[in-house]
Amino acid sequence: MPLWFIRGLRRGVVTTRYPARPDPSASAVPTPPAFRPEAITSGVGDGMVAICPSRALARDGDTLIFDAGACTACGRCREHAPAAVTASGEFELAATERSGLVKRIQLAGEVSQ
Amino acid sequence: MTALILFAVAAGAWAAAALAGLLTGAAGGAAARAGCGLSVLGGAAALAGGIAALLTADSAVLSPGGSIVAGTLQLQATSLSGVFAVLLGVVAIGIGLYLPRSGKEASPGTAVYLCAYNLALMASLAVLAAGGVVTFLVAWESMALLCYVLILHRPRSREVAGGAFWFLALSEIGFVLIVAAFAILSTQTHTMDLGMMAARAHLVPGAWRDAAYLLALAGFGFKAGLVPLHVWLPAAHPVAPADGSAFLSGLITKLGVYGIALFGFRLLPGGPAWTGVLTMGVGALTAAIGILYALGERDIKRFLAFSTIENIGIIVTALGAAMTFLAYGQRALWAFLLLAGLYHVLNHGCYKTLLFLEAGVTEHAAGTRDMDRLGGLARLMPRAGVIAFVGTLGIAALPPLNGFVSEWLIFQGLFQGFRTGSHLVAILIVLAAGTLGLTGGLAIYAFVRGYGIPYLGMPRTRQAAAASERGQPVAGPALLATACVALAVGAPVLLVGLATAVRRATGVVLRPVLLPGKLTVIPAHLNFAGFSPTYLAVFLAAVSVVPVLIYLAGRPRADSVVVPVWDGGMLAFRPRMQYSAMTFSAPTRVTFDALYRPSVSVQRASDDPAGRSGPVHYETAATPVFERYLYRPAIRAVEWLADFVRPLQSGDVNLYLLYVFVAVLVAYLIAAL
Amino acid sequence: MSTSTTGAGPVAANPEQAAAAELRSAVARQFGRSLHIRTLDTGSCAACEQEIRMLAAPHYDLHRLGFFFTPAPRHADLLLVTGPMLRAFAAAARKTYDAMPGPKLVVATGACALGGVYQPDAFSYGSVEPVLPVDVWIPGCPPSPLALLQGLLVAVGRLAEKAPALSFVVGGSS
Repeated sequence: MPLWFIRGLRRGVVTTRYPARPDPSASAVPTPPAFRPEAITSGVGDGMVAICPSRALARDGDTLIFDAGACTACGRCREHAPAAVTASGEFELAATERSGLVKRIQLAGEVSQ
Repeated sequence: MTALILFAVAAGAWAAAALAGLLTGAAGGAAARAGCGLSVLGGAAALAGGIAALLTADSAVLSPGGSIVAGTLQLQATSLSGVFAVLLGVVAIGIGLYLPRSGKEASPGTAVYLCAYNLALMASLAVLAAGGVVTFLVAWESMALLCYVLILHRPRSREVAGGAFWFLALSEIGFVLIVAAFAILSTQTHTMDLGMMAARAHLVPGAWRDAAYLLALAGFGFKAGLVPLHVWLPAAHPVAPADGSAFLSGLITKLGVYGIALFGFRLLPGGPAWTGVLTMGVGALTAAIGILYALGERDIKRFLAFSTIENIGIIVTALGAAMTFLAYGQRALWAFLLLAGLYHVLNHGCYKTLLFLEAGVTEHAAGTRDMDRLGGLARLMPRAGVIAFVGTLGIAALPPLNGFVSEWLIFQGLFQGFRTGSHLVAILIVLAAGTLGLTGGLAIYAFVRGYGIPYLGMPRTRQAAAASERGQPVAGPALLATACVALAVGAPVLLVGLATAVRRATGVVLRPVLLPGKLTVIPAHLNFAGFSPTYLAVFLAAVSVVPVLIYLAGRPRADSVVVPVWDGGMLAFRPRMQYSAMTFSAPTRVTFDALYRPSVSVQRASDDPAGRSGPVHYETAATPVFERYLYRPAIRAVEWLADFVRPLQSGDVNLYLLYVFVAVLVAYLIAAL
Repeated sequence: MSTSTTGAGPVAANPEQAAAAELRSAVARQFGRSLHIRTLDTGSCAACEQEIRMLAAPHYDLHRLGFFFTPAPRHADLLLVTGPMLRAFAAAARKTYDAMPGPKLVVATGACALGGVYQPDAFSYGSVEPVLPVDVWIPGCPPSPLALLQGLLVAVGRLAEKAPALSFVVGGSS
């Protein structure tokens, strides 16, 4: 018990300062994907939609609908098309409207909500 | 004198009530109610007589006659007996008001019951007013036999006969010991008059003195319910009718305490310390064991019976500690603890009688005494719920009620054990106080269970859900509840009266070190502790106004929504899913299983895994330790002895003639020598 | 208590948004310094529960933010729901919500509760929405304790939400 106490004193305060300061451990967590719309062809898009295990991706014509709420950050879409998908690094994803988490991505360039 | 006159009035009223009961009990109706009214009148007279006896000096011994067979009738009203007479009056009034609606059918059995009850009241009064040994013993034995008749009101099952028999048997064993004690005292002091005996107590040599006291402790202990002499209480109380049990617990056990107080404080005061310590130890053990067994009971009346044993233990602890203090010269504490013990006698008489009467109301309304078949009675029978709650608060010794005040006094007396000067005795007194503390905590636990399971929650059976208060007696229990509150709030007044009584009994003037101000109570020494029951009650009432004010102030602000009680989200909460009496007390039964030694039997309908095995029959019982290891061996020994001696009664006339011849020869030889 | 804001401060673009902003500041006043959270598992795999447990650990320490866990809905201000709302649990969930005194918040967390992973079928609703009115949604599988903290702070109005402004496009506002 005294050993534990001394070890704790030596280590100092380990509590994160979040939200006042960013937390360094944030980067270690898997995060939802960020897409490069220019690299997503319809074939790639369909492949990603099929491989997503939680139905977070859907295709509506030339728009990729990405439901960030349903995404489990499993990384299969990134494995399938590494050129088109990368980790977004975003973990502060809370939203007050469910629709705020559904993103429409133009497969030819611009972003729309 | 006034006291004796009032006692005579009470006895007359009770005699009339007995006659009325005998004649009209089989018919019922207004005449029977008139009989009960006479009983109440007698109770009022006894109450007045008790108060008169409290406040005046011990009256002279009256000998208003007698007979050659029974001896002279000697009556004396002492302050000590005055306290118990007050209790007798209050109990008689309460039960008398309860009787008309107690649900007894109009039958010859009821006639006999009413007659026996009123005669038992007379006999109890005679015990208290007895001024001579013979009067005392005759009154004592009559009281015991009449109570036996009381218990046998409905002799339809073996249980009833068994319970009544335990009562009678233990009463008789106690009686033998009491006779022996009185015999020793009479022969040593050469008088049969109690007053003279008290005056000549110093003449009795030490060994005889201790022997007499021990015999009296054991003999009266059988009646009071000291462990291990208590086994008749749980056997007799459940089978007697509710008011009979109330009478037994409320008064008869206190007569045992009266006997111990009589011997310990009046006839044989100033004994060696070890008798006081022994009494205190027995009392503390009784208290702890009583409440522990109470926690294992489902039957309300058995539960209350064990609670009586616990409270008797507390009272006897106080008396024993008082005797110990006297042996070390602490006269103020001697008187103080006697006063505290007497106060607890009054308190316990009130709330125990109240609780038994309410148990009777419950049994009559819901048809069962089993706590696990009741529930929600406070909503179905609101008045009974409130009255029983007052009684429960009292007996659990919660402020501001009377149980708290008297237990505080007893504890404060015990805490001053250091004043004895002997380390060993001080430690023993502290141990006794610790045992009483354990008892107090377990008592709160037990009475949360005793009130919560039957009165709160949801009814566990259809019978309980159909309970109704219509036609149930309310006046008697309500009066007793009022008495409980009055005894608490008016404690200073009562203590003045008790201090007067104690002054006459012990010669110690307690007033200045008991009630220095108008309303503050101090335990015998000014530099120790103090509190005011009256101010406490007023303070608690005032403080409880605060949440009410907060509620009223905040109410208009927010809309309130009525939603069901949070039950953990269960979809169909059945009443059987509530705590049962046995599961509530399970932690205690597990902790103390060395005392209970439970026997468990489980039978499953099939060997399938749990949940699919069909009905499971689970039975657990506490081993009746005292019956099995103390009484059964004693009974077997007596039977063996009887078998051994039987050849003497062979029935052969010639053998009997030989006995006569041998007896005459021996007598002749002794006379010749 | 559903509002629709995209920025940090009250934007009085129309009366509805003004009312919503006022509601939000009322919530911040009420719960901003002390919030009691009741967790509710409607059938999850307990990974979200593990992350929620870590909130009480020294590294994340939700107590420093004035958040406390309570088992009693009567004492709770916020219901933290995980799991895809099994049909067998729906009535109990509704009872838990009803047992909470107002004002109260509901936060759904984890991909299951948000409608991913499981389709509505004979055993589950697939998401918490059909049974309880949700105020804040926290995605993740499981959401890290930091994500949970951010979501709780958004619920009490101490942080502004960021997710609606994110585009999840490389080179965009993501």
